[in-house]
Amino acid sequence: MFVETAPPSAARSPVTAARATWRRRLARAAVPYAYVAPALAMVVIWTYRPLVGTAQLSLYSWNLLPTAPARPVGLDNYRRLLELPDLGHAVGRTFLVIVGLLPFTLLVPVVVGLLTRRVRGRARTVYQAMIFAPFLVAPVAAASVWLWLLDLHQGVVNRALGLSVNWFNDPHLALWAVILMTGWSLLGFAVLVVAAGLAGINPDYAQAAALDGARRGQITRWVTLPLLSPTLVFLLLMTVLLSGQLTFPLINTVTQGGPLNSTTTIYYLLWDYGFRDFNAGLASAAGILFFLGFTVLAAGLVWLSEKVTFHDN
Amino acid sequence: MTTDVAPLVLDEGPAATGEAGLASPAPPRRRGGPAEPDEPVGEVSRASVVGGHAVLVLLGLACIFPIYWLYVTSLRTSDDIFRLTPFPWPLSVSSYSEANKAVHIGRLLVNTIAVAGLTALGQMLVGLLAAYAFAAWRFRFSRLLYLAFVGTWLVPFQVTMLPNYTLLNRLGLLNTLAGVVIPNLCSALGLLMLRQHLDGFPKELLEAARMDGRSSWATLWTVVVPNLRPALAALGILLFVNSWNEYFWPALVLQRSNSVIQLGIASFIGSADQGLPWGPLSATAGLACLPVFVLYLALQRHVVNGFVHSGLK
Repeated sequence: MFVETAPPSAARSPVTAARATWRRRLARAAVPYAYVAPALAMVVIWTYRPLVGTAQLSLYSWNLLPTAPARPVGLDNYRRLLELPDLGHAVGRTFLVIVGLLPFTLLVPVVVGLLTRRVRGRARTVYQAMIFAPFLVAPVAAASVWLWLLDLHQGVVNRALGLSVNWFNDPHLALWAVILMTGWSLLGFAVLVVAAGLAGINPDYAQAAALDGARRGQITRWVTLPLLSPTLVFLLLMTVLLSGQLTFPLINTVTQGGPLNSTTTIYYLLWDYGFRDFNAGLASAAGILFFLGFTVLAAGLVWLSEKVTFHDN
Repeated sequence: MTTDVAPLVLDEGPAATGEAGLASPAPPRRRGGPAEPDEPVGEVSRASVVGGHAVLVLLGLACIFPIYWLYVTSLRTSDDIFRLTPFPWPLSVSSYSEANKAVHIGRLLVNTIAVAGLTALGQMLVGLLAAYAFAAWRFRFSRLLYLAFVGTWLVPFQVTMLPNYTLLNRLGLLNTLAGVVIPNLCSALGLLMLRQHLDGFPKELLEAARMDGRSSWATLWTVVVPNLRPALAALGILLFVNSWNEYFWPALVLQRSNSVIQLGIASFIGSADQGLPWGPLSATAGLACLPVFVLYLALQRHVVNGFVHSGLK
């Protein structure tokens, strides 16, 4: 009744108008998503889809050949991994690498940063360039340089020090050689980060402390270092996140995980399972376990950084 | 100094201990008038400046020596390869021609320039669009989307490599340069740094452009990009260097052809069992590092700031 009396044209136009504004609003709301879309697509296709794929593969037994069938095996891969000693050893070595890198990424940079605060000007730029240069050297090039420097018979290090140490073939030393090479690459970056962190500290605090009679050492310990703690936690996080990515090319080109698996870190173990043993299931299961552990570790570090850092507001 | 509770008393260089001992009995320190902003408190003793220089010189020399030795080795004649003289004489480029015979360095360099250039350009473009969305709009799920990009850092290459490898195989991109470029088109680092730059971009300018009736697309290219040119250049170089130095992914994709320079270096390391070809190896590694050093020297300040700020925020 009521509907009939209303003129159809008048009834329709506000509806279409509303629909049009609604559509326009939708189009406007979609704009930021459209800008994010390409990046999101790349991340989904090349990071998150394969992550799910790895989780699926971890439940199968497959030798990577497209023609061979993948056989579902449930949690067998995980069971085998936890029974084999490989994983535990590899995690231990990875931990050792991280701890071994801390002098290069934390201790020496902080010491150097504090010692050299007063050096400035052109000289400082030159020093920084020299210290930073190794960070620019490609990992494979770094590997070849250090192979040459640490060569058993002809290497400069052995000849200059009168040693005959077989750095890369001694199971006790090979991992340390890898740590040394990686530390050399990272040191300059860490020194610059610490220098920037020190430069960003407001000098008023130290002046106030000095006014209260604090000695220089006390100021360093109780004012400067706490204010530097965000930088330090960042460097720790960087060491943990980057150590695998940086050691992998060195291990892959120089030692291939050997001798006697002494340089098989967790990253290299994954590679080994996948592309030496062609055991996709085991490699994927190890990858998933590793990813979970890594996430917990990183979350812990982020939590730590929120907890311990002093913010200079 | 002895009464200090601080375990880290680092303000004085090794040469400065004598003078610091004399200076310490005067706790309330005189503050110099117009101190520089990041000047540590306390009188700047000459000895501590000298000590700072000494520390930096020693560290700088230690860092630069392996690089120096790389080029020295590459310039020796093949008879002189094992000599320890700090300057190569007579100079010889025979190592370079030998290396070129073995791996066609020219072709490798062209390939690597193409791969690194396209990767860096793609990463800039994809990252710029996404960062623009995050900076210019407030939209639903923006925080979640942003976390999705940051989260890619938690997924190491080795965890996703098997599914990505099979996908590339299905797409027919194995052993092609496109297969190296395409999976790396979104860089979380690039995106995060661009977002920082764009967040600092004055919102009034964006608003003014919108009032003028400019579309968001036109605003991006006529207002934002021209104003961010220095930052974009620095970031572009950083991404180019990263991609230039990349080893994993090319090693996996280009298994049957050593067609980028990093794989060229690796092919020398893997080639010989007893006694590596040190001359050609050093020559190839030296050439692989040269463009990076040149870029760095040309744009030192921008690049260093870029690297350091990427870490700090």
